[in-house]
Amino acid sequence: MPRSIWTGAISFGLVTVPIRLVSAVRRQDVHFHQLHAEDGARIQHRRFCSVEEREVPHDEIVRGYEIEGGRHVVVTDEELERLDPERTHTIDIERFVDLAEIDPILYDASYYATPDGDVAVKPYDLLRRAMASSGKVAIGRVVIRTKEHLAAIRAVGEALTVATMLFPDEVVPRDELDAPAASGDVTDREVEMACRLVESLSAEFEPERLHDERRERVLELIDCKARGEEVVTEAEPERPQPAPDLMAALEASLAGARDGGGGPSAGDAGGGRAAASPSSRSRA
Amino acid sequence: MSRPVEIDVEGRPLRLSNLDKVLYPQVGFTKAAVIDYYTRVAPAVLPHLRGRPLTLKRYPNGVEASHFYEKQCPSHRPDWVRTAPIAIRSEDRIVDFCLAEDLPTLVWLANLADLELHTSLSLATPIERPTAMVFDLDPGPPADVLTCARVALALRDLLEPLGLEGLAKTSGSKGVQVYFPLNVETTYAETKPFAQAVAQLLERRRPELVVSSMRKSLREGKVLVDWSQNDQHKTTVSVYSLRARERPTVSTPVAWTELEAALEAGDPQELAFDSEAVLARIAERGDLFAPLLEWEQPLPRL
Repeated sequence: MPRSIWTGAISFGLVTVPIRLVSAVRRQDVHFHQLHAEDGARIQHRRFCSVEEREVPHDEIVRGYEIEGGRHVVVTDEELERLDPERTHTIDIERFVDLAEIDPILYDASYYATPDGDVAVKPYDLLRRAMASSGKVAIGRVVIRTKEHLAAIRAVGEALTVATMLFPDEVVPRDELDAPAASGDVTDREVEMACRLVESLSAEFEPERLHDERRERVLELIDCKARGEEVVTEAEPERPQPAPDLMAALEASLAGARDGGGGPSAGDAGGGRAAASPSSRSRA
Repeated sequence: MSRPVEIDVEGRPLRLSNLDKVLYPQVGFTKAAVIDYYTRVAPAVLPHLRGRPLTLKRYPNGVEASHFYEKQCPSHRPDWVRTAPIAIRSEDRIVDFCLAEDLPTLVWLANLADLELHTSLSLATPIERPTAMVFDLDPGPPADVLTCARVALALRDLLEPLGLEGLAKTSGSKGVQVYFPLNVETTYAETKPFAQAVAQLLERRRPELVVSSMRKSLREGKVLVDWSQNDQHKTTVSVYSLRARERPTVSTPVAWTELEAALEAGDPQELAFDSEAVLARIAERGDLFAPLLEWEQPLPRL
């Protein structure tokens, strides 16, 4: 069971459902370590006091907000907690909407909500069933750590999921994009053809059939490098491509060696052998 | 954790640390056991390390934890550890490689948890001249060490008519490596394309058994005949090196007759040797890989 990142309750009219949020995402990224190129040693990140010039333990570190050049206001966890005690522990459902109304650009992170304790199981199930039968998505607000999010709660199978969402002012407006303006010279016929192409490629969305091919390629690269004993900083060598006739020459040479009890090339090779090598071709 | 131990090896003072640290957890093989193995195998392995740039492969927290390669000889080395400056491709810099030339250096390396010793096919000078040509036979499951033995024998039979005799060793892992001693004037520009042509010819003759391309997808049930280690910038695991596997297995020289016998018996275990088995073999039969440093065999002119 993954660790919960938030404990609180979903509040829905008179019903309160104690829940925990656990991340619904398991990152499969290929994880690299930073190494010192000189000697391959692991790079450590240390917290370092710029005045005392010494490493600082966690419990000596506080949070500061810069108000003007170099001046900070220190803000503690307790102060942040007291600021809005309700919302740091409650997701208030404000309304129910249709899933298709939500622009996917707003979605941020996905969590599972699990009932927190036996007492939560019944109201959890009640909320889940009500949402499943209505097919609606519940919209509320939640504060996770220092940040308030919009939250979309959905019933998915036996579970409730919570997706945190950006506030619309956190999305970059499209008119800030530095993109060339649309040209007007697309013809209806072109649009029609493109539509037919879309039609022909239309299919069910089956995400379980998709996977991260890039990761597989990266892992293969790592595998190859590890196998070839190539180390940290070196680039993959260029492979000499032997002229195709080298293999042919080898084959001809072998044929010669078989037929004539040693062609000219085989004779050269044998003649160069030092006395230290076995005189007969008997197998060791 | 045990306290560091100060010892003297052939007149060199050494400080050994964490001797009771278990580096092979499945069998409880400790760092002390690693140092003991390298000390006892030193007479056989040192001739194969002497003068060759060494790449360390260190497992400070044992074979189940992370490891790293080290080409640059650690800067905290004792001043009597010999090094050789070698230019590294694709970087405008010189790396000082360790040279393991005596028992104290070998013990020092073992104390760094340098379980695996990877060496160049060249001596440090001249670095351009390989003293051997190597084929690393790597099985793609379900192919195994026996499939590799079959390919190794095919490789031997292929090159024998050209006056090249080979030597085989287990990789200590899943594969087999076949070395052809050269010990004559040559360059990688000669050995690498030759090795590739040999691998390709072997693939063409035994397509059911052999691939010559690194592409993993092609390898299933076959043996990759990796010719690409015939390169100034590559290393191959040294004979008598421990491997970082579940057990302290060793890259072990084997006679051709042993490969044939293992194939006959159908028993891959006949080609698996751990540190104890290797020391017993050396005591009984000497260094089967000694010819690697002696036989002079020029590549045939094609």
